[in-house]
Amino acid sequence: MARKTKQEHLQELSDAVLDMDEERTVKAAHEALVEHVDPYDAIQGGLSDGMARAGQLFEDEEYFIPELLMCSDAMYAGLDVLKPHLKQVGESRGTVVIGVIEGDTHDIGKNMVRIMFETGGFKVIDLGRDVPPQRFVDTAREEQADIIALSTLMTTTMDGMGTVVRLLDEADIRDGIKVMVGGGPISPGFAKRIGADGYAVNAAEAVKVARELVA
Amino acid sequence: MSSLSPKERLLRVLDNKAVDRPPVICTGGMMNAAIVQVMNLTGNTLPAAHHQGELMAALAGDIHDHTGFENIGIPFCMTVEAEVLGSDINYGTLACEPKIERERFPSSAQVEFRDITTMLGSGRIAEVVQAGHHIARKNPDQPVIGNLTGPISTAASIIDPVTFLKELRKDAANSHRVLEYVSDLLIAFACEMVENGVTMVSIGDPTATGEILGPRMFEEYAVRYLNKVIDGIHGFGAPVIVHICGRLQSVKQFLPRLRCDAVSTDALVNLKLLKEEFPGLKVMGNVSTFMLELGDSDKVARHTETLIRDGIDIIAPACGLSTATSLEVIRAMTDTVKEG
Repeated sequence: MARKTKQEHLQELSDAVLDMDEERTVKAAHEALVEHVDPYDAIQGGLSDGMARAGQLFEDEEYFIPELLMCSDAMYAGLDVLKPHLKQVGESRGTVVIGVIEGDTHDIGKNMVRIMFETGGFKVIDLGRDVPPQRFVDTAREEQADIIALSTLMTTTMDGMGTVVRLLDEADIRDGIKVMVGGGPISPGFAKRIGADGYAVNAAEAVKVARELVA
Repeated sequence: MSSLSPKERLLRVLDNKAVDRPPVICTGGMMNAAIVQVMNLTGNTLPAAHHQGELMAALAGDIHDHTGFENIGIPFCMTVEAEVLGSDINYGTLACEPKIERERFPSSAQVEFRDITTMLGSGRIAEVVQAGHHIARKNPDQPVIGNLTGPISTAASIIDPVTFLKELRKDAANSHRVLEYVSDLLIAFACEMVENGVTMVSIGDPTATGEILGPRMFEEYAVRYLNKVIDGIHGFGAPVIVHICGRLQSVKQFLPRLRCDAVSTDALVNLKLLKEEFPGLKVMGNVSTFMLELGDSDKVARHTETLIRDGIDIIAPACGLSTATSLEVIRAMTDTVKEG
């Protein structure tokens, strides 16, 4: 069998992620390693690229949450193969503290955003779901985070987002930390009203916004 | 026709008969109006009222008396079903609703199927049924609404939700088995409520949205199992309202296939346009709960007037009310409808 070019390896990794195929992604990752594709390139140009394409299909409403979750499983399976072979991890773009605000136990959207942040080169501290506003602030301070990302699916918990901004103000650390918000009921107008720095309509958009915020 | 009781008016709307004006209701369950202000006024409070039938009935009555909503609704959470199916529940506080602490099963394949009749005797089901009985006996003119957590949301409350959603694609056989089982429990629970005096049933299924499932999964699972539960409830003669969360855009075409008697939607949906697109559809909604919480009574009254003018069949909040919402602003909404 003829050797694949590097580009063909990256394409296969990307396609396998996009096709939600965990086994195929693992196989493609092993093949890429055997044929000396740089694992960093395989992650960026292969796995992340597949995830970004999945994110685009999600934006276009061709993929939905179940599809995106399966793509991310495939991506993580590939990542497990490639990660031990990384020479050194690329420079982090910054630290993000992420979580779902108290009163809301939906965390599917947040999980997607976390994955997109991770593949986008951010260090992510995931506080999980149902998180009290004060914990975001405390963690951001301890970890010297650049961004706090808040998500909610429920209108009844939107209050808590404003509380986080207010607590940052009170703790006098507002300047160093950007706050971004998103989730079903959130609008750009709401984000502005509570004094957030950024708003993202979905997971793919969230990474773009985060990059701009720390640029 | 002005002599219509609230119960007659709501039932007539759902039965396609003429009425003097739309009813203004707040179903309970996912969309309950157990606000802090009411509980502080009367002393019948949550979380205790989640557990005791008489207290639940008393709080539901308090809400009705103070808000002006033309129905009485129970329970005040979405965890009754998941609890009897085995999940751990955090019952919350006076101001914060109960939630799932931990789902019982890691995956669809691992769900244990228990006897439905045995489950009806467990958890808080008997207390909810008892509350419905008390309320119905004391309030013959009010529609009593028993609330269910929809099949998709209930399943996602007993199985780790991320796994559950993936398995809708990866393990359709077990996903269908679990949803059949959950739907059977929901029908049996609804049957108990109706046989003990509840007038009708409202189903809230916040996980079953177009944004989460997409059209294919919505059709395969949400439409199918919502209809199974609706048909089951119709089988013992009670009408059914279904609330669909989210923007609706990607799943709108399935609405006429839902066999419920009215569809309730989020604030993001233009109900006037929805009615124009589907003339046979009876719609309920959709006063923004965000607007209600912000507390501008005039704005709420104007918004409510628009909904009435647009011919919305049943006026209701668009989603779950924040427990910090004030009575004044809720009354601005209910009074506007009643004064026509």
